[in-house]
Amino acid sequence: MKKTIATILKEWILLKRDLGGIALLFLMPVMLIIVMALVQDAPFKDYQELKFDLLLVNNDKGRLSEDIIQGFKKSKNFNVVESVEGKLLNDSLLKLYLEKGDYPVGIVIPGGATAEVVNAANTLANELSQKLGLGGTVPAREARNTAYVRLYFNPVSKPTFRSSIAFAIDKYVTYSCSNLLVERLSKLSAMQGDTTAPSTNFDQLFQGIGVKEEMLHDNLQDKKLINSTQHNVPAWAIFGMFFIVIPIAGHMIREREDGSAVRIILIPNTRFMVSLGQILFYTLICMVQFWCMVAVGVWVLPLLGLSQLYLGANALALIPVSFAIGFAATAYGYFIGTVFKTINQALPLGAVSVVILSALGGLWVPVELLPSVMQRIAALSPMNWGLDAVNTITLRGGGTQQVLLPILYLVAMGLLLWLFSMLYEKARKVSVQ
Amino acid sequence: MSWAIELNHLKKQYKNAWAPALDGLSIRVKEKSITGLLGPNGAGKTTSINIICGLLQADEGTVQIFGNPISNTSSNIGHRIGVVPQQIALFGNLSAWENYQYIGTLYGLPNHQVKERATYLLERLGLIKHADKRVNRFSGGMKRRANIIASLLHNPELLILDEPTAGVDVQSRAMIHTFLHEYHQSGKTILYTSHHLDEAEELCEEVIILDEGKLIAHGSPAALIEATSGAAKLEDVFLSYTGRTVRD
Ligand SMILES: Nc1ncnc2c1ncn2[C@@H]1O[C@H](COP(=O)(O)OP(=O)(O)O)[C@@H](O)[C@H]1O
Ligand SMILES: [Mg+2]
Repeated sequence: MKKTIATILKEWILLKRDLGGIALLFLMPVMLIIVMALVQDAPFKDYQELKFDLLLVNNDKGRLSEDIIQGFKKSKNFNVVESVEGKLLNDSLLKLYLEKGDYPVGIVIPGGATAEVVNAANTLANELSQKLGLGGTVPAREARNTAYVRLYFNPVSKPTFRSSIAFAIDKYVTYSCSNLLVERLSKLSAMQGDTTAPSTNFDQLFQGIGVKEEMLHDNLQDKKLINSTQHNVPAWAIFGMFFIVIPIAGHMIREREDGSAVRIILIPNTRFMVSLGQILFYTLICMVQFWCMVAVGVWVLPLLGLSQLYLGANALALIPVSFAIGFAATAYGYFIGTVFKTINQALPLGAVSVVILSALGGLWVPVELLPSVMQRIAALSPMNWGLDAVNTITLRGGGTQQVLLPILYLVAMGLLLWLFSMLYEKARKVSVQ
Repeated sequence: MSWAIELNHLKKQYKNAWAPALDGLSIRVKEKSITGLLGPNGAGKTTSINIICGLLQADEGTVQIFGNPISNTSSNIGHRIGVVPQQIALFGNLSAWENYQYIGTLYGLPNHQVKERATYLLERLGLIKHADKRVNRFSGGMKRRANIIASLLHNPELLILDEPTAGVDVQSRAMIHTFLHEYHQSGKTILYTSHHLDEAEELCEEVIILDEGKLIAHGSPAALIEATSGAAKLEDVFLSYTGRTVRD
């Protein structure tokens, strides 16, 4: 054990003297987290907090357009714009602004739309009152079917965005129509001598059957977790941890090249202890990395106007998780440093493989957004197990029990790579030339 | 007579080489002797030493050290041997002190013993002033001496050196020689390779001459010179055995 501790101390001295290595291990992931969290902040907000400017031309100026405008105003995501630079919008101006790309969406409510809706409601009310034997009519004529609410989109807007707007308008129109219909019906019943006002408030009625999003776990209530911080901090922390492959592999190859590895071989019964010391040391460094990144997420990102990283109710369960990820990353570096002969082979291949594993593992884009084939491939990436374990704790309210499986996977992978490297090393003909 | 090292019919063929590096080599090194393993470049000196210290596996043949076969891992022979490899085997970014502390601990030596021993050796080999400098910043001669010290921390009974004086300045070489002589006097066995024949002649009780992986001659320098007609120096003996063609 003394040999292992001595090795840890020695690695520590060497790392302290390698400022470039420290920068790579700590500054790179910090920069990645900050930059990526900032860059991805907008897309994440897209569907959440961001307010869209919605151009609107109101040629109707009746009940229907009023209901649509009110509907958009009540929803927190839209900002209804009827005039730009002091000029009231018309059809051609609206198209002009959309083409310039300044606004994502425009709506034109045609003139006479309300009249058309009123007519439809009256027709329906008349029919109903006849069938129910109420007698009495409200004025109605043939439907004209010309009252389309027209939607215009900035060509780059995403399909999901388009359909959600269309859906919203549909909802407001339906609301307006039903409201009118109820009014007509009460009007007809008033004609029959019923003077009591309708007892139900239509708005309340609608809210009672509305839709409300709830979190899966109570303790996550009130936290907006699908945000840039919550994805980017663990993702780039894990990426940074795996980047330890570069310094480890470089370090191992350099020790073989400068002959110090030979010294270790010459000392009886030491190789395993030295290897253990190196693995433990770098695993420890990885854990420190992880917690530094967590600290950045908790304390630094909020200073930049980003959300604070939320660690979940069982934050301590992240300790074994960070150990497992660090161990797997270290063993992978040990493997790369063993099987490649020269630094010129090991470093580019190590770096590229880490980038590929990270892309496959859902570090760049959440796995849920990948096609299903890719999702299955993602399940093979150790980084995915790591990210999944972190998310289980931070987003899904899990504890140590729930992350036991990914921890086991990571540790098993690490042990396999380490064992393989040791055997490979032993089989290699070491020459002192 | 007991032997420190016995090599029996060693054969070693490197994968990509056209001729065997060792071709049935058998040599013996007397206990408490100081023996030179000599031969032109490519004769198989380093290959032999790497096999002796376990860095390399022979294809055929056996190696015994102090009467124990080296394949027998339970015999703790490693602790009785010190090997100074041909290349510098030190951590370049650690100071000499830090290297010795680490290596000493790996040999299982207690701290105070490492300290005492390293101080003594650093003084003897003229490096005490530089003990806190990083090995990377040492000159070639200093690195060689530092490399030797690292193999002596555990005070081995058998010291094997591969070209310890290759490419060093005259002062460093003299210092190394004096030290090796003393170390031998204290009752240790030394085997060392060199292609400096005058230095072997002056230092060694025994010399073994190899060529093309085979034993050419074995004996004391004086006896070999005497047995070779017209030879006045070891160099003449060497040339008469190995010929005058250049080996690269
Ligand atoms: N790793 C190797 N691969 C192939 N051939 C080698 C290797 N090492 C040494 N040799 C060859 O084996 C022979 C003996 O080499 P070596 O033992 O280093 O000689 P010496 O130390 O006496 O100069 C030489 O012909 C050399 O070219
Ligand atoms: Mg050699």
